[in-house]
Amino acid sequence: MKINNHIRRIAAIAGRECVILLRNPVYWFCMVIFPVSVMLFFTSLMDDGQPQEMPVGVVDLDNSSTSRSLIRNLDAFQTTRITGRYASVAEAREAIQRNEIYAFLYIPEGMASDLLASRRPKISFYYSMTSLTAGALVFRDLKTISTLGSAAVGKATLSARGFTSSQIQAFLQPIRIDLHQISNPWTNYNIYLSTMLVPGVIMLFIFLITAYSIGTELKFGRSRHWLRLADNDIVVAIIGKLLPQTLIFLAIVSGYMYYVFGMLQFPHHGGFSDMLLLGLMTVLPAQGFGVFVFGLFPSLRMSMSICSLWAVLSFSIVGSAFPVSSMDSELQALSWLFPLRHYFMAYQVTVFNGYPVSDAWLHIVSMLAFTLLPVILLGKIKNAMLNYVYIP
Amino acid sequence: MYISHKIPKMRMNGKHGFLQRVIQGLTDACYIWRQEMKLNVKDEGVLMFVILVPLAYPLLYSWIYNNELVHEVPVAVVDESHSALSREFARQCDASPDVFIKAYVNDMREARRMMERQEVSGIYRIPHDFSTNVNSMRQATVAVYCDMSLMLNYKAVFQTAQAVSTEMGKKIQISISGNYTHREDEISTQPLDFDEIPLFNPSGGYGSFILPAVLMLIIQQTLLLGIGLSAGTARENNRFTDLIPVSRHYHGIFRIVLGKSMCYLMIYSVVAAYLSVVVPRIFNFPALGQAGDLFAVLFPYVLSCIFFGLTLSCLIRYRENVMLLVVFTSVPLMFLSGVSWPQSSISGVWQAISYVFPSTNGVRAFVRINSMGGTLSDVMPEYRALWIQAAIYFFLACIVFRYQIMRLRSHILQRLAYIRRKRNIRRKLRARVRL
Repeated sequence: MKINNHIRRIAAIAGRECVILLRNPVYWFCMVIFPVSVMLFFTSLMDDGQPQEMPVGVVDLDNSSTSRSLIRNLDAFQTTRITGRYASVAEAREAIQRNEIYAFLYIPEGMASDLLASRRPKISFYYSMTSLTAGALVFRDLKTISTLGSAAVGKATLSARGFTSSQIQAFLQPIRIDLHQISNPWTNYNIYLSTMLVPGVIMLFIFLITAYSIGTELKFGRSRHWLRLADNDIVVAIIGKLLPQTLIFLAIVSGYMYYVFGMLQFPHHGGFSDMLLLGLMTVLPAQGFGVFVFGLFPSLRMSMSICSLWAVLSFSIVGSAFPVSSMDSELQALSWLFPLRHYFMAYQVTVFNGYPVSDAWLHIVSMLAFTLLPVILLGKIKNAMLNYVYIP
Repeated sequence: MYISHKIPKMRMNGKHGFLQRVIQGLTDACYIWRQEMKLNVKDEGVLMFVILVPLAYPLLYSWIYNNELVHEVPVAVVDESHSALSREFARQCDASPDVFIKAYVNDMREARRMMERQEVSGIYRIPHDFSTNVNSMRQATVAVYCDMSLMLNYKAVFQTAQAVSTEMGKKIQISISGNYTHREDEISTQPLDFDEIPLFNPSGGYGSFILPAVLMLIIQQTLLLGIGLSAGTARENNRFTDLIPVSRHYHGIFRIVLGKSMCYLMIYSVVAAYLSVVVPRIFNFPALGQAGDLFAVLFPYVLSCIFFGLTLSCLIRYRENVMLLVVFTSVPLMFLSGVSWPQSSISGVWQAISYVFPSTNGVRAFVRINSMGGTLSDVMPEYRALWIQAAIYFFLACIVFRYQIMRLRSHILQRLAYIRRKRNIRRKLRARVRL
């Protein structure tokens, strides 16, 4: 009987909430349009997987057939494209400063003849690490081409001496590295970054919208009406209010997962149940956090400010770009306070790598804790709803 | 009400000389400047975004990226070879700065369990025939398994193994070659010598790479939030929910735009100087820029951010909505600026969209001056784009405020007509009562 009563109240409040959501275009934008456009933005921006054909210059003072073939080979790499030839190192450096190239190869005069005469000529390559992705990738190509330059000479000498090709191979590279890139053998940046950034933005909106929807009750003077519908039971009031939002956000997260794992075929070893768990674990902790922050600072402005600052900070402290394990130990501890961090850990353990869920249990428990966090502040929220007046 | 005497006064203005009007305009602009400043100082929300966030966020970010590089990434070794050579390989990897051998385990299953429990980020597996192969002049392999969820850890694990294998390979080559002199050894292992020279951000530090861009983004985002919040408040406090208050100082477009922007320019001259000069020096991030060049770029950048913010502020109905609109753009804008993702790999559509935001050019220009020691002539395209943006957004802000003034005027006229009608009715009623 009592439970029936509760359910009826929750349904009534949820219905009221649906009307609010439909009427205010802000909700449309923040719950559907913005998350979807951010998802399309990141996945289309990094569609290539890795940046391709990045501009690189050459300073070729040798102008021999050897140097030209070196340059041609460099140009043939997928990530590098030779866009400029410069007369001197200074000119090429200025081209980097003008953002025309990311790196350049310097071949001094007499390289080919020194090579033939075994005088061990020296080439150099210069690269800029102000864009870490571009710098690291062109560095890799330049280093490979420089090493291959040596190998070509070695190969010619050894085959002239009459060694077999397997012997030459063994001499030139006695120890080979057999690389296994687990789950992302293409070093695809889209897989690596979009799976953190898009859920991060969705969580940002959940934070903000949760605080916003509760705070506007106070702002527009509807809070007493809201609580009356719930018969002054704050638990019923909050569940009823957040339920429609939960469902909408769950739909958005499922849509994101379908798009990314289903259509774009990002690696997903975890299977359906893990993804479902992860979807729930994106929405509920973020909502819990939003309610908690509103409970701490029961003013619309303050709670939303805290939520935005926290959400923006999440993108750094999640540690997918710069690992948490390399941060100071205080920050490693602080990272536990960010729901996105737990999402990322749970995602990479269960879905990305397909390891057992039990290996991420600590993070799943933390997300549950975030979901239940508002419980300790329910009294305060109720008091705010009944007695506070909105101050801009 | 002063509305009634406002209209004749405006007519009167026309009779006076141009100079008089300019002086009047400037006085009004200064009044609005002062008024805006007063409002902002009283408003906690604006203060938080305009003062506190620009002060505290860079410190926080600098702290997060303080260590710059990834060192001592834990790795498990599965040594099936059990030879002097395999032990040397593992020892050399352990001795390198980027990798530390957390455990020597017996088989791959054990190593995999460690990986699953997040205890290690990679596995080096040295097969049983490793030493035999090397000694019988066959190519030996070392299998490297990397966890790909963290790119920097993957790089550390892979590149260390590669460097060690190259180094050991050289020693093996020398022992096989049977050369007489050191020079001969050098020539047979590496006939073509090469130098790798990182020109800018030479340590490849993560903080030095990302922080300059973050600093510039903070300027734009906090300005948008601050201007938006104060516009929202102005509207909420206005009796017609208009952006512009009813006052005789507010009846010119230029004086409103000028007055408001002077207020933010005043605050952000200090904030921008702090972000671009002080913060990089406190935390020893690259700071190669010359003061003149920095000023030349930051001035149009702050201006275009302010006018952009003023233009956007007209969209803000309630003060809190601005957070919903602005905050999430920070991350996509970071990628569009060409720092996180190379500019040459951003497709045409997104390039075009990126030019809407001042941050794109601001970040690019600042990074090249601050981190690459470029001069103003190196960032000419960005510099010009910033001035063009400042001009466009200035005019857009004017148009938008003109619309606001018209709206206010029509609201006032409506109100006036309403009052007159009421007065008429009252008069008629009174007359009827007298009758």
